[in-house]
Amino acid sequence: MIGEWIRFVLAALCMALGLVFMISAVFGVKRFHHALNRMHAAALGDTLGILFVILSLIIMKGFSMDSLKLSMVIVFFWVASPVSGHMISRLEAMTDERLGEISVLEKNNAIRVQMDDQASMIREVSDKKRKKKKGGKNR
Amino acid sequence: MELIQQAYDLLMTAAVVILAVLIILSIIRSILGPGISDRIIAVNMIGTMIIMITAVFSVWLKENYLADVCLIYAMISFLGVVVLCKVYTGVYLQRKHMKADLGAIEDNLSRQNREGLDEKEVQP
Repeated sequence: MIGEWIRFVLAALCMALGLVFMISAVFGVKRFHHALNRMHAAALGDTLGILFVILSLIIMKGFSMDSLKLSMVIVFFWVASPVSGHMISRLEAMTDERLGEISVLEKNNAIRVQMDDQASMIREVSDKKRKKKKGGKNR
Repeated sequence: MELIQQAYDLLMTAAVVILAVLIILSIIRSILGPGISDRIIAVNMIGTMIIMITAVFSVWLKENYLADVCLIYAMISFLGVVVLCKVYTGVYLQRKHMKADLGAIEDNLSRQNREGLDEKEVQP
């Protein structure tokens, strides 16, 4: 009887930990503003969230063929999640035209935009070009 | 024995309800997300949470075939993400008349740099 309760407490702890990871993943995706930052938050749920939830299910079920299948889900996710993350980040790197910007989250939910050197150079040049074009039209 | 069964039922119900609420929040994020990659990230996370719910049901209802459904769902979700990324990369590059290859990022950066160099040559 006491062994059953110890098993239940272990399973409940693992399940709660996995749910906390999933909740933090969802709120991280809400809170960040760029897709590359959002991917960082979403990878938390893909690895640790599914690890702890399925670990709690394996603890509940005991060792059998079905819990082996459930652990295969973890193995597959740990192999496939970095690959899909790489695909998404490559899509973002190809299609985002303001890639060099680094946005810093501050405490009052404001965004401060910094840029690295190359991106700031590109931005300055394009701003000058825009001003020049406007001036040319006015003349 | 009754009590521990009730405790397990409560745990599973709480987990499924919390995951369902999180799925609704992710659906809202996938509608709001400004870019296509934000939507793909949100859809990928919805797939992860549906796999979790299916695994919880496979233990709760003692239906063992739902574990197989989990595995197949994981594979199809991964395939969907890869295909969506390939399709939208191709659509973007075709719209911009860019090089559709592995060197597309360098091509993009070199185009931007070339614009910068032209401007510098004009200035003096």
